[in-house]
Amino acid sequence: MSNIYIPHKARIASIKQETADIKSFQFELLDPEVRKNFKWKSGQFLILSVFGVGEATFTFANPQTRSEYVECSIKKTGLVTEALHDLEVGDIVAIRGPYGNWFPFEKFKGQNLLFVGGGIGIAAIRSPIEYSLDTRNDFKDITILYGGRSPLDICYFDKFDEWQGKKANLVLTADKGSEGWKHKVGFVPAVLKEMKPSRDNCTVITCGPPIMIKFVLKELTDLGFAPEQIVTTLEMKMKCGLGKCGRCNIQQLYVCKDGPVFDYAEIKKLPDEF
Amino acid sequence: MPNKLITQENLKALVNELAASYDVFAPKRENENTVSFGKLQAFEEYVSGVLLTNTTAKDKVYLQSEQLFQYELKKDTVEFKEKAPGKEAVIFGGRPCDARGFDVIDKLFNWSGYEDGPYTGGRKNTTIITVSCEKPETTCFCTSFAGGSPADGKGSDILLTPVSGKFLAELLTERGEKLAAKYSKYFSEAGEAETAAKAEFAKAAEAKIAKKLDLAAIKKNLDASFDSFYWDTVHLPCVKCGACTYVCPTCYCFDITEKKFGYLNGERNRTWDSCMSEMFTKMAGGHNPRTDTKRRFRQRFMHKFRYHVDNFKEELCTGCGRCIRRCPVGIDIRKVVEDAK
Repeated sequence: MSNIYIPHKARIASIKQETADIKSFQFELLDPEVRKNFKWKSGQFLILSVFGVGEATFTFANPQTRSEYVECSIKKTGLVTEALHDLEVGDIVAIRGPYGNWFPFEKFKGQNLLFVGGGIGIAAIRSPIEYSLDTRNDFKDITILYGGRSPLDICYFDKFDEWQGKKANLVLTADKGSEGWKHKVGFVPAVLKEMKPSRDNCTVITCGPPIMIKFVLKELTDLGFAPEQIVTTLEMKMKCGLGKCGRCNIQQLYVCKDGPVFDYAEIKKLPDEF
Repeated sequence: MPNKLITQENLKALVNELAASYDVFAPKRENENTVSFGKLQAFEEYVSGVLLTNTTAKDKVYLQSEQLFQYELKKDTVEFKEKAPGKEAVIFGGRPCDARGFDVIDKLFNWSGYEDGPYTGGRKNTTIITVSCEKPETTCFCTSFAGGSPADGKGSDILLTPVSGKFLAELLTERGEKLAAKYSKYFSEAGEAETAAKAEFAKAAEAKIAKKLDLAAIKKNLDASFDSFYWDTVHLPCVKCGACTYVCPTCYCFDITEKKFGYLNGERNRTWDSCMSEMFTKMAGGHNPRTDTKRRFRQRFMHKFRYHVDNFKEELCTGCGRCIRRCPVGIDIRKVVEDAK
């Protein structure tokens, strides 16, 4: 009898305060055997235990090519994330996973990649961004559009030099600018419209708040992108991650086992529920 | 597997003997108005005449709330402790629709590449002895489903059917055969006459079920009706109590929560949950894809008669009719899915 609900033990190896309410955590799995065999792919997710509070679902923020630690960037939004923000380096947590499907990079080979991220959605696309930079020769142009509510809400400033150094074109925007902000000002969809990316030989990977996704899809469609060219990760409440607890069920799909990565063509076939 | 026969007296002796060494759960009077599956001390407590117990026997295997593990935080690590497996159990006197419910959710707890140990452990530990129904209720509709019948053995280890003053005992699984072999002194061989009598019994009982759903037509209608105006009004009487999900033999959705004993220890639990609850899909940050009763109501019926059929080629329903009887406002699942357009 296999108890699939018992997680792997882990300790917090580092914490970095990204913004007022977002921290990036590095987790180290305690058991060396588990650590060796714990392999994931960009797009998959994990379920993190904070003892005394419970479990919550997060995406891997780092790709399989940089897998020394398990990294998550986590915004303080609910009970588990609040408790997690109170923890310190060395504290013990636990991890189940990896679960779900991943970005089909083998299909994107030889293409231009456009990443569009908003808010904490950047955590979900940092993994595929860094994966594509680590396998840079497989792709043509790599463009990253990333926006936050204000300059203070932008994460990963320490990573941008590396991203640009690996020949990614990075465009930052803030809904509202501030003094000294040298980047764009405006909502992500509006900046996207201005950028006029070419749909030729291009795949878009996007993640962000539902309202941003909605308008990004509209702009991309206006620019002539086919639904198959747009890939996103769906957000749905999950408890088990194993296709059993029933709550991430949309139509015949379970987001946890059939997703979370879907292309827009697949999403269009689903009922308008999210 | 050759069928067996067991007399009324021997059945009584068998159940009494079982109760001495197993946890035997059977329909038992809880109070004046309620018969539920309770732990049987002696055969006398068994209420044989009730078809629809208050709740199903589902909770004897898939507990309403169960511990997944306990944890204790230590310096630089954490220790997990799993619950010891429970005593072997027998579910006695349930009905074919209840037993079939186990068969339906067994598949769910074993699919997607993960076997759910906490469920399957209890399942393997339990022998199900079912009794065929002679007089179905007006809310029964088991014959709508493929192979469904008041005398169907799916999900049961042993099926008992009353024939000529005795019971025909069909040993349907290895577990059932084992139990009958262990207590062989109570059983005798059945002849062709009794097996034929069972077929007659089944035919007569099936004929008493008035309502038969056209599941193919229902599936087709549900496939096309997600955006239909139908859902705008059909949910209006619903008071969101969730009783329908609670008494259902096939509703399986659950929540995972934590109970803290102190700063350093506690337990992780799994508890039944209901798609009729607003919290069911509410995410951290407040976003909720199913904000109102209409959406949740639609999800429940779509899941049972459309989505689950796409995945498992069978409905997430066995036609026991408990949700119809328990609904405080008289919502009838048969009508809801039949009228969907």
